[in-house]
Amino acid sequence: MIGALTIARRETSALFNTPVGWIALTAFTFIGGFFFTAMLIGYYSAFSESVLNPQQADQLSVNEWVVQPFFSNLGVIALFIVPAVTMRLIAEDRRQRSIELLLTSPVSSFEIALGKFLGGMGFALVMTATTLPFMWFLYALGDPDSGVVISNYVGFILMLGTLIAMGTFASALTENQIVAFMIAFAGGLFLWISNWVVQGMDDGPLKTTIDYVSMLKHADSMGKGLLHTQDIVYFLSFIGFFLFATSQRVEALRWR
Amino acid sequence: MIEVQGLTKSYGDTLALSDVSFTIQKGEVVGFLGQNGAGKSTTMRIIAGSLGASAGTARVGGFDVAESPRKVQAILGYAPETPPLYTNMTVGDYVRFAASLKGVPDIDAATKKALGRVGLEAVSHRIIDNLSKGYRQRVGLAQALVHDPTGLVLDEPTSGLDPAQRIEIKNLIHELSLGDDRTVLLSTHVLSEIEAICSRVIIIHKGRIVAQGDLATLGGGAEKKVHVELARPEGAIDVLRKVPGVTLVEHDGVHLVVTGERDVREAVAAASIPFGLLSLQGQRLEDTYIQLTTRETT
Repeated sequence: MIGALTIARRETSALFNTPVGWIALTAFTFIGGFFFTAMLIGYYSAFSESVLNPQQADQLSVNEWVVQPFFSNLGVIALFIVPAVTMRLIAEDRRQRSIELLLTSPVSSFEIALGKFLGGMGFALVMTATTLPFMWFLYALGDPDSGVVISNYVGFILMLGTLIAMGTFASALTENQIVAFMIAFAGGLFLWISNWVVQGMDDGPLKTTIDYVSMLKHADSMGKGLLHTQDIVYFLSFIGFFLFATSQRVEALRWR
Repeated sequence: MIEVQGLTKSYGDTLALSDVSFTIQKGEVVGFLGQNGAGKSTTMRIIAGSLGASAGTARVGGFDVAESPRKVQAILGYAPETPPLYTNMTVGDYVRFAASLKGVPDIDAATKKALGRVGLEAVSHRIIDNLSKGYRQRVGLAQALVHDPTGLVLDEPTSGLDPAQRIEIKNLIHELSLGDDRTVLLSTHVLSEIEAICSRVIIIHKGRIVAQGDLATLGGGAEKKVHVELARPEGAIDVLRKVPGVTLVEHDGVHLVVTGERDVREAVAAASIPFGLLSLQGQRLEDTYIQLTTRETT
């Protein structure tokens, strides 16, 4: 596993050595900050209006008005930004032939896949950390429920993990980074919205399946502060599946 | 040290390698010759474990590459034709990364040693992207050397370099092969490099081994050629063809080359033709190579 960590460390620092990483980080923080501000303003005006209506004021919770929609919006931003970060993970190695170094070093195909995934995760954690000042702001001015905040963070990181695992796989499929981006983005978008498509459908195994596959559904309950095992299993099984698929793909590179 | 047995590789319908077998003893420096597309890189990639064979086995240091690739990769250094570089890293960081991947215990010491060996200490802090092709080739060698492997597989390490860089890399490989009892398999199509460094040659053509042996044997040649300078070649050709022992007379307008079963200088001199100079043209590796790789395989 040392090999995987070595690869991961290189990948994360490579992202910070290129404009891609910094642009992604800036875009995420800027748009995230924009949403956060918009939500605070919305919360504030609702609060102002409720001065005339004390009953409504009791129902105004910072968790529902700010924390939950903020993370939900971060998810949408991540949908766009993660593929841009993961597209180069393996495609770039194949294009510039550096993959040969990995394939001829004493590391297994799974270690290569895991290393690339963890490298992307390292970046994602830094990205997630940039939202901490926003939370600090909420704690300084209000009284958010820590349980909700933590479960939102867990949900967000798991979602990032799923998108990164899928992006790593997409990146292993092609030498072309744009193609890798498109595949990862389309896959992420499908997982995100698949339950919209089936909303009008009659109940049945197809609807249940597509419903289950939807990331939004699982992220929603975490947003409310509920950490269900089934939701965690959902994300972890996606991550595991794509890691396995990536390692198979890397192994297949040895046969062409 | 390196043992290849019946190696076959096909890409779809194309047969890239067909029943390739050879053995390289410990400490030997072997040249691997062949035209572009002959199967040199394919063979080397299979030995290095970055490509699977369709049939046959490759063993390095007693380990089967297909069965225990990690064990092979731990004792083998491989430099592909295009150095596998992360061009936005510095030279030092890159070699350190390679050392860590290869599980070297003391990464800093190994990196320093490898950089020293290939003469890269002075540029260790520079970004690989900004280096010349010759230096990049050296970084590729440093990567292959960093875990102090007992076997080295170098795929055209001098390709695309200018003559001065080529000589530098050639000398470097020569130094690497001296001492330490390191086994080297080196592919190139620059014959002078093989003649300068290698003790043995393997020639591959269209996926098959067509010759292997000591440089002396392959370079010596069984046939003898005599170079004849003539004032008036007309008529002399027929006379020469009748000289006992002569098998072939070639004429390119200026020079006459007489090939015989043995040294036919005396016989040619005895024939009554007005020659200016007779000289023996020893068969060189180049001749063997051209002869073997230009004929059609049937």
